[in-house]
Amino acid sequence: MPITYPHFGSLTYLFEIFLNELGRYDIVKPKNPSKKTVIIGSRHSPEFICTPFKIVLGTFMESIEAGAYELAMGGFQAHCRFGYYWPVLKMILEDLGYDFRFRILDHTNPAGLLRVLKNDVSDNLKLFQIIRALRIVWNKFCCIELVDKLLSRYRAVEFDKGSSELVAEKAFKLIVEEKGIRNIKNLKKKLPGFFEKEVCKDTKVNPLKVAIIGEIYIVLEPSLNLDIHKRLNELGVIVDTPVSLRNYVDFEGIFNPFKKTHKQITLKKVKHYLEHSCGGDAQASIGDTILYKENDWDGMVHLYPFTCMPEIISKSILPQISKEYNMPVLSLTLDEQTGEAGFQTRLEAFVDLLERKKESNCK
Amino acid sequence: MVVNFTMKVGIPRALLFYTFFPMWTTFFTELGAKVIVSPNTTKQIKTEAIRLAPDEDCYSTKLYFGHVMAIKDKVDYLFIPRFGSSHKTNVGCPKFIGLAEVLKSMFPDLPPIIMPFYSTAKSGHGKRRLFHLIFSIGFKFTKNPFRIFKAARRAFEAQKVHYENLFLDEKTLHKWEQTEYLLNNPQSPNESERPLKIVLVGHSYMLNDDLASLNIQKILMEHGVDFITSEQLPRTLIEKQMDKLDYNLYFDYEREILGTIMHFLESKSIDGIIHLIIFSCGPDSIIGEMAARYAQRDPSVPLLQLTFDELTSETGLKTRIEAFLDLSIRRQKKCQLLTLTLDH
Repeated sequence: MPITYPHFGSLTYLFEIFLNELGRYDIVKPKNPSKKTVIIGSRHSPEFICTPFKIVLGTFMESIEAGAYELAMGGFQAHCRFGYYWPVLKMILEDLGYDFRFRILDHTNPAGLLRVLKNDVSDNLKLFQIIRALRIVWNKFCCIELVDKLLSRYRAVEFDKGSSELVAEKAFKLIVEEKGIRNIKNLKKKLPGFFEKEVCKDTKVNPLKVAIIGEIYIVLEPSLNLDIHKRLNELGVIVDTPVSLRNYVDFEGIFNPFKKTHKQITLKKVKHYLEHSCGGDAQASIGDTILYKENDWDGMVHLYPFTCMPEIISKSILPQISKEYNMPVLSLTLDEQTGEAGFQTRLEAFVDLLERKKESNCK
Repeated sequence: MVVNFTMKVGIPRALLFYTFFPMWTTFFTELGAKVIVSPNTTKQIKTEAIRLAPDEDCYSTKLYFGHVMAIKDKVDYLFIPRFGSSHKTNVGCPKFIGLAEVLKSMFPDLPPIIMPFYSTAKSGHGKRRLFHLIFSIGFKFTKNPFRIFKAARRAFEAQKVHYENLFLDEKTLHKWEQTEYLLNNPQSPNESERPLKIVLVGHSYMLNDDLASLNIQKILMEHGVDFITSEQLPRTLIEKQMDKLDYNLYFDYEREILGTIMHFLESKSIDGIIHLIIFSCGPDSIIGEMAARYAQRDPSVPLLQLTFDELTSETGLKTRIEAFLDLSIRRQKKCQLLTLTLDH
């Protein structure tokens, strides 16, 4: 039966690779969430649920109508509402009269995860085949993340508009088609050179550097954050984001006890401000602000969906961090009603302020 | 530090206070401190809260800010626990954990905050951690470890007694369902008819806060309704309902709410359910939707969902409750007619 999954920025490529590795080729690819997706999603959603839910619901409805039967998504127990997504989605979709099955992947329970992958998602693959697939996906995931990172750096300083996006497209294609773990690792080493060679850089400018933090789905899904990475790049700002799926699933951190994960580093920084985890990316948002200040970045943009519980906590604490560390932070709430023009104006104003601050510092 | 005057500990009357007040107040009184609990929510506290609190917090969290401001100048310590969970897997709301630090960050001039962190589900805390917390707090007030130990024991006993008085046992609940036993002696307008039976469902800090819930308990009593709250329901019944779900409902206080609604949707022994939702409460948005959909699938018991925030008006609320009660009375009469015709 055809399988589908939610749309999740450039990680959508990753889910496709993963399913292919598990021997599934009957995939209904989720469409890029459009205005219509958001409208049908929010029509059937609870009143003050966070925005990612509405988009996931809309995407699933479109995919089921396109012929999907199995719906794969994550679901784990945290302090956040994310673990409730699938039970509520299930009730809503059932009441709408659709026919479907959920495949829930819970990474906090490795035995259960492997069981679901073995019995439900794949056609009874051997355990070592599944682990091999996971390894390949992990390596490809690192590549995809690197491409994203390079893209938002080179797009800010490119001469010909759109050239770095073309290169990124090409790189994504290479990653999807590459086979064998060793080849993928080699490809990862080649990627920075690839960008350096193909993109013509404007070396005269001294661009600002801004990092984007916040809730993971909203930072990584361009249709929800109105493609903030691109918008900032077009204003001539180098963009980076510490938010990634790695904060949740870090295989390197599990298997290599000597490596310090990004999470552990941020936790150390945040101890005085928010000592204990309260779900989502609340601690990471605060920790990253301090970390980026120490690495001489110019400003932070903090994104979170409307009514997100953990991020409201971090948003209330961020002004203090901003004051103590002299680091400008722009907190933006996003939902399906966010207007493009207002968003753009606020970003432009923020960038102007940062530029002025940088000039006065130079003098 | 030599303690030669009585220390004053302030506890805001909001959020978890309504669940744990016997334990907290007993503990500090036994330690020899003077406990100052903020007054019942007043209009002034509300206005102050709305002005100061972050605008995206839920209504109850906003009220917490008002209560803190009401007592902050009168006390030496503020007691704002960071309570994660006391269950093996289930957790509370993340706001409970972040609140103390948010307050400290937003208002640096607050008195020192005692903020013990306890979470069984995520950090695996157990009895040892509890001992550690009790003594680390206790030594702020007294040097006598025996006194601290005694205070802690009395506190837990008080909480236990509170729970025993609060929870109904299954037998009493059954009697209530059969109208053999009334809980809060409503003034029935008509003596011959049996009073309506309604269950009030919601968070403890909504049900017991008279200003936030706009006196809903009193309004119901004036209409001659006999009600119970979701707080009073026997825990065994709730767990029984939760076992029926094919997923684990991991927000602890939401289990109580959904469990109560599911129990009465199944037993069909009452005339209506009133669910109080707090505006922009995260867990409520999920549970409210689930409850609504369960009630839609099995529409034999009417469910009224009311959302509360600082702008909810009392007249609007009254009208809706009156309409709901009229509807329930009409249903009751229809049912009686139906059984009569079936009997003959």
